[in-house]
Amino acid sequence: MKKILIISLMALLPAAFAQAEAIPGKPAPAFDVKDANGKARSLADSKGKWTVLEWTNKDCPYVKKHYESNNMQSLQKTYTGKNVVWYSVISSAKGNQGHLSAADALKNANDKKSSASAILLDDSGAMGKAYGAKTTPHMYIIDPTGNIVYAGGIDNNDSADQKVISTSKNYVAAALDAGMAGKKIETSSARPYGCSVKY
Amino acid sequence: MRQIVLSTLYLLIASLFSQLSFAGESLKADHIKISWLIPNSFSENTETLIGIRFQMDEHWHVYWKNPGDSGAAPKFRIVAKNASVSEVLWPYPSRLPIAHLTNLGYDDETVYFFKIKPNSSSPIELEANLEWLVCKDECVPGFGQVNFSRPVKGNSSNFTSESLLILKKFEKRIPSQGLNSPYRIEVSDTPAELTAKVSSQTILPEKIDLFPVDPDYLQPSQPKISRNQVTYEVTFKKSSTAQKPDRFAFVLTADSQPYDFSDIRLSVASNNSKESLSLAVLLVLLGSALLGGIFLNLMPCVFPVISIKAISLLKNDNPKARARDGILYTLGVLTTFAGLGAGFLILRNLGSSVGWGFQLQSPSVVLSLILLFWLMALNFLGVFEFGTSVMNSSASIRWQSSFGTGILSVFIAAPCTGPFMGTALGATATMPGYQAMIVFLALGLGLALPYLLLTLSHPLARRMPKPGAWMETLKQFFAFPLFATVLWLLWVLGQQTGSQGWLVSGIALLGVSFAIWLGQSKKKFWVLLAWLTAIITIVYSVHKVRTFDAEGSQSSFSNDWQIYTEQKLTTALKNGQPVFVDFTAAWCITCQVNKKNVLETADADIAFRTKNILRLKADWTKQDPLITQALSRLRRNSVPVYAFYSGKDLESHELLPQILTIEMIENLIPYKEE
Repeated sequence: MKKILIISLMALLPAAFAQAEAIPGKPAPAFDVKDANGKARSLADSKGKWTVLEWTNKDCPYVKKHYESNNMQSLQKTYTGKNVVWYSVISSAKGNQGHLSAADALKNANDKKSSASAILLDDSGAMGKAYGAKTTPHMYIIDPTGNIVYAGGIDNNDSADQKVISTSKNYVAAALDAGMAGKKIETSSARPYGCSVKY
Repeated sequence: MRQIVLSTLYLLIASLFSQLSFAGESLKADHIKISWLIPNSFSENTETLIGIRFQMDEHWHVYWKNPGDSGAAPKFRIVAKNASVSEVLWPYPSRLPIAHLTNLGYDDETVYFFKIKPNSSSPIELEANLEWLVCKDECVPGFGQVNFSRPVKGNSSNFTSESLLILKKFEKRIPSQGLNSPYRIEVSDTPAELTAKVSSQTILPEKIDLFPVDPDYLQPSQPKISRNQVTYEVTFKKSSTAQKPDRFAFVLTADSQPYDFSDIRLSVASNNSKESLSLAVLLVLLGSALLGGIFLNLMPCVFPVISIKAISLLKNDNPKARARDGILYTLGVLTTFAGLGAGFLILRNLGSSVGWGFQLQSPSVVLSLILLFWLMALNFLGVFEFGTSVMNSSASIRWQSSFGTGILSVFIAAPCTGPFMGTALGATATMPGYQAMIVFLALGLGLALPYLLLTLSHPLARRMPKPGAWMETLKQFFAFPLFATVLWLLWVLGQQTGSQGWLVSGIALLGVSFAIWLGQSKKKFWVLLAWLTAIITIVYSVHKVRTFDAEGSQSSFSNDWQIYTEQKLTTALKNGQPVFVDFTAAWCITCQVNKKNVLETADADIAFRTKNILRLKADWTKQDPLITQALSRLRRNSVPVYAFYSGKDLESHELLPQILTIEMIENLIPYKEE
């Protein structure tokens, strides 16, 4: 009885936001970009699969926090191993910090032992702006039906110190685990932290 | 040998990373210089305001506590010896546009402040572990430590004039308490925007700005500020992803004077239309209200009265009179519920935070109930007969009697918020008035229903036992649950008013009992005196008891339970500790039963301990707006409520049923790190 009540009450809450951004509970904005191998990638390609978008900038201290600690790579490895599509997105404009040519992006991914499914090159920033990506790392999760189910920071500790990772709550892992097990995702958004995306 | 090499190497790397070989009073790192602003010696008795100065390269910046779209606030971990140190006092920030984003922070230079007070006359030693982020277009994080040691002597802290100058410059930017300012802030919202109205009790400032403290919900970019005759309206864009917080906090600058405002709730007054409920939900609520009302009949405070009333019915064979009796009783119940409902709605509209059972938060009402139950018990025992008794067991049915019993049952039922009622009553806090009223009436109908059916239905009535002498015996027996109720209410009063309250209510009981004895005289004079005694005693005691406050109202609960504050709740959750909150009140009997049978048993203790659950007790015995607010956030306005918080924030909680079992406690699952 209580459940019915709560669900009905939630349904009554005004849920409409009219902004072109990735909002939990709404369909993910479409994108159409090339990956570092020159292959075209769009939202439709990964339909039917869980998809993670990770905004990245190799020179950002907060990205370094998660790569030098191997935190990001192990997440990529765990979930691509579970058939999740993982895109690392670079939205830095040409000439700005973190911008990489296709070749450099591949080399960087190789050096860092990234297990991402692909590195998406969004030089124009169109994809980043469509999603409203503000920081690196800014994380999004899209469910198999194409809806955003998580948007925000990777975890709950905005320190640049690697030591805090072990005691932080990783929202991305929690959301993927819950969502893939068919459970309710407890935290569907959190403040994204890190460096600004260098559009 | 290898070890030495390794450790030397480690030291080298460590010093390279932190870029300081030893911790001193200041440090230099990439794009930043950090130093203490402290006196040469600290004053013995007073608080001293000290600062940590951050000097950046030109156009590099560091952050406010809400850093804005990107970036991070500096972190301070302070270890102090021989002194107590306050939290960081943050000067109000500037808005720093970075490409399409906005950061909140300080360009070029700032000072973060602390208040420090010596504990003894020994020198103060302080160690500050810092983490910061300094940015221009790109960002460089840094870690480091600055320390100092200074003697404590004399009556004033003596700063160098140079430090003092810098301190003074930035001290002006520390916000003072907003409630002490002439300004007030009210917030209201639309789906995409939030508007804060800033009004003034004196004159409006020439220029204002408003900074949201919470980084999640409001966008940090420059809000639209418009001025009309009496207010400023500041409109923020909302972040599209974050959940709406319960309260907002802002720093207001009015002609460069900063003020801190916290705990601002979305004003309900501005959108007068409460959320109207869909028919399905309303029906569910009405069903649960009806069921809850029926269950109320079984509660120890109501059951004796209803039973006696039902028994008195046996003597009457006239079906019409019986039906009339039942209907009048029902009307009595419904009228009273409507009255209480109206009172509740009026108080709600006045903005007062009340909840069901609120009557019992007033000692006067409790004392009146004590007297009422006392008189009923004496009456049941046959000590006296009421002239026109509300409990009349004679065959004749007077309409006042039936109607009166209806009123009476509502009043005595109030302390027993039974199962099923919590949901329905909770919802009344947020629904439109007319719907809330329907829920109240459904509750009343539920309460009246069993008796009404008995009076209307012939087959049911025929199955009742034959009248006889056993009725008198049963009636006398029922006096004892009523005495028990008196005892319990006395205890409630004791919780509210302390031993003074006990004394006054004892005197009231004595006076009233004496008046009854006097009143049995045949002589008019004595009867008059009896009335006088009764009235004076009642008026005096009911009035007197209001003036007492519980001096030591500490409820007697074991130390494992702490008194609820929101601070404790949020701090525990932040630290990953799950929290169990017991919303309770001395006057709530279900709460007491749960407490004795479940919550304060050894088994529960073990369960709470092994799961490292923090136990908080929110005592609503007396009116407490903070607890009322906490309840309304759970969409409840009555007790008991058992809330188990197991996530990182207030959103993820679970409400337990109102009748607890030990298994429910043992089955609580704390949040686990994955």
